Amino acid sequence: MTRTARISLCSLAAGLLALGMTVTACRGGHGRAAEAAEHKVNIYIWTNYLPPDVLADFEKHTGIKATVDTYDSNETLLAKIQSGVADYDIIVPSDYTLKVMIPQGLVLELDRARLTGIDNLDPRLLNQKYDPGNRHSIPYLWGTTGIGYDKKKIKEPVDTWRVMFEQRYAGRILMLDDVRDAFGVALRLMGKSINETDPAVLRQAADMLKKQKALVKTYDSSDFANLLAAGDVDLAQGYSGEIAEAVAHAPNRLAYVVPKEGGTLWVDNLAVPKTARHLDAAYAFLQYVMQPEIAARIVNGVHYAGANKAAWDRIDPKIRSNPSIYPPPDVLARCELIEDLGETTQLLDQLWTEVKAQ
Amino acid sequence: MKARGARALLLPTWAVLGVFFLAPLALMLAVSFRQRGVYGGLRAVTDLAAYLRSGAWLANYIRSVSPIYLSIGWRSLWMAVLTTVLCLLISYPVAWWIAVRAPRRWKNLLLGLVVVPFWTSFLIRTYAWMFILRGQGLLNAVLLGSGVIHRPLELLYTPFAVMIGLVYGELPFMILPLYASLEKLDRTLLEAAADLGAGRAAVFRRVTVPLTMPGIVAGVVLVFIPSLGQFVVSDLLGGAKSMLLGNLIQNQFAVARNQPFGAALAFELTAAVLLLLLAYALYMKRKGEEVLL
Amino acid sequence: MTRDPDGGLRIGSPWPRRLLVSHGVLVYLFLYLPVAVLVVFSFNAARQTAVWSGFTLDWYRRLLRDDGLLDAVRNSLEVAAVTTGVATVLGTLAALALGRSPAGFRGQRATQALLMLPVVIPEIVLGAALVTFFGVSRLRLSLATVIIAHVVFSISYVAIVVRARLAGLDPALEEAARDLGAGPFDTFRRVTLPLLLPGVVASALLVFTLSIDDYVITSFVAGVGATTLPLHIYSMLKVGVTPEVNAVSTLLLAVTIVLIVVAQRLLQEDRRTT
Repeated sequence: MTRTARISLCSLAAGLLALGMTVTACRGGHGRAAEAAEHKVNIYIWTNYLPPDVLADFEKHTGIKATVDTYDSNETLLAKIQSGVADYDIIVPSDYTLKVMIPQGLVLELDRARLTGIDNLDPRLLNQKYDPGNRHSIPYLWGTTGIGYDKKKIKEPVDTWRVMFEQRYAGRILMLDDVRDAFGVALRLMGKSINETDPAVLRQAADMLKKQKALVKTYDSSDFANLLAAGDVDLAQGYSGEIAEAVAHAPNRLAYVVPKEGGTLWVDNLAVPKTARHLDAAYAFLQYVMQPEIAARIVNGVHYAGANKAAWDRIDPKIRSNPSIYPPPDVLARCELIEDLGETTQLLDQLWTEVKAQ
Repeated sequence: MKARGARALLLPTWAVLGVFFLAPLALMLAVSFRQRGVYGGLRAVTDLAAYLRSGAWLANYIRSVSPIYLSIGWRSLWMAVLTTVLCLLISYPVAWWIAVRAPRRWKNLLLGLVVVPFWTSFLIRTYAWMFILRGQGLLNAVLLGSGVIHRPLELLYTPFAVMIGLVYGELPFMILPLYASLEKLDRTLLEAAADLGAGRAAVFRRVTVPLTMPGIVAGVVLVFIPSLGQFVVSDLLGGAKSMLLGNLIQNQFAVARNQPFGAALAFELTAAVLLLLLAYALYMKRKGEEVLL
Repeated sequence: MTRDPDGGLRIGSPWPRRLLVSHGVLVYLFLYLPVAVLVVFSFNAARQTAVWSGFTLDWYRRLLRDDGLLDAVRNSLEVAAVTTGVATVLGTLAALALGRSPAGFRGQRATQALLMLPVVIPEIVLGAALVTFFGVSRLRLSLATVIIAHVVFSISYVAIVVRARLAGLDPALEEAARDLGAGPFDTFRRVTLPLLLPGVVASALLVFTLSIDDYVITSFVAGVGATTLPLHIYSMLKVGVTPEVNAVSTLLLAVTIVLIVVAQRLLQEDRRTT
């Protein structure tokens, strides 16, 4: 090619290179030098589950450099960890995911002697069925799944899941795009457990959802709070923390409720993958977030309920007294934890396909 | 170039694709013959001979031809065809304009401008479309404000929105190959046809289109096939209310954690497309044309 | 038969000029509408993109301090640059081998089939297959695994576009060069390649685009700290996209437009001097 053409292509390449270097320079702060192996920890966590200032303080206090990657579904987490070649030291699986990971030997048995902070945690959340004795995990944040709604548009009191199936709200309803959450609603209305495995019952639930589909504006597991806040929908199935945040911004208009038939209770837990390379740093991180002051700061930052009892006094009173975030015992009593359904998962998936495909 | 030289040129491609493409796929094919374990993952096969004899290794494929899954495939096919046809109709005049009619000094710029919007994030562009099409979005604001309509149009979370999103995302993949083909179009042939008395339509139909067929085919391939397997656009712009082939497969890997079934579906999709391409190749060969793909 | 002053041919155009131009303009407007929305709302004072509430440069300021986002941008650029380089070279070589070799040489059919496959396989299958493969071969996930995955699906696109271009070239030109005594390398360098260049550049643009924007495959094979921009943005969807992302997109857009205009100018000069 001609000299000029070669020059122009080179300048194009140089331009791109300059761009890349500018971006690197802008980034500033952490240098590449801090990659000494011992003082690193790789964290894989839900989006918006760790306030940046808490992370920065952790790095300052311990001198450990943390790399944080995020995910938005348990299945993504599971796929990465099952591959055996993701290099993470801390992961945050939900209850039923942990139940799947433990028998597959994906997570480490924790050394209790190095986790004195466990005494700070709420005993109600410890020793659950998915991890008896908390040998493999410690609870981190928890919440419920319920209905967020617009008080101004929905004049009647909202206390039942039935309202999500009402013809007059057609086109104003949002459901989570999650098979367990959707079926959970139908099963609860039928008075059954959300962990039902009887195929006949599941088919009935599927029929309910198929009839409901015409009324649903959209299925969305990430934007439900925003859509409710923006007024695109008046009734949204969603998770407590995010809806509580939306309610906090518009308390006269929005509200959150766990219906009387009951909802889902979920607990996200900190765990260490078997393939983790920086164990000292991992334990340091776990100890750090179990400190009451830190735990309180996390709760105040993310608006989800924390598992740390000793942190209670330091939590923002507005959050402490918010029944959407910290529900009273009677609400908790009617919530259930999701459990993995084993073989029935295949049938459930087929039924969900039928609901979506019609 | 001699055959030996050609094979040498192909060596690096074969090396890369052999190791990082064929091997993983072979692994996946093997997975499609197995069954889902209790917690996702794979169920162990203790007696291989018995497993093969029992026919269980075909279970996933047998399941995939039940009516529900066939109807999903059919709907996906139609969406992909519609997307491809719309893309072709919209893109050909544009590619023509850039390649043939635009002043020479503008060509590269115009071409670059086609691609530039797609250097922004696909997710963000899709979100921008959501903003435009929403009940309180840009389009409705403009139409309501100017009095054209009196109630907002519900355009988002409909098949219409999905079509817009799909066509929008695939346009450059149709325009670029068409351009590459049109740019090399020998104008003298068009002149000759005109001299022989052919009208504009005839020249287009009987000279231009056949001559640019390689570009058309490349464009159709580059648009049709990804459209068959897409799922993000129908989830975001369609409100996740439809189950297309892409959603189905993604669901198997991401949610149902049924990799064997997902792999079986994926290979069936692949086989169907390959058959289509094979049929096309045979057809072109019979007409004596060079098979480009 | 008529010619425009700068050489555009009017004969053979099935569409009247005015229609052609207005269609073109409409299509460009369609292409840039979401982009315009993006850019405009990167200056919006409100967090929610639904409402305009005032002009601000805040998001750009925040952007320069958001390490996570900047890391993601840098990763995306790195991956796209390397992928484009490797895939363009390999794909062009493959296109040449297929298009300029004796018909039906041993391995031709197989190669054509091989090159078709990455386009045909759904992204999600490729992603899952690769991560399974990396697991089995104990190759730790990282930015390199992302680059490998991107190269794998990009080579075919280059081969397709360059072949289309190659097919339209007049073999007489290369024959003439050979008749004049040029060896195969010289012929390639001074006749074939320059003629091929628009196709190569077009395919390079295509590959860069594909790589920068890839979400599905990357989400499967990205390792620690290898978050690319699409992955980062997708994870931000949970919180609601902040206009910071609009700001990044606007900046990237501005830079690429400048680069293209500069390249365009230089190529113009080249054409005038030769």
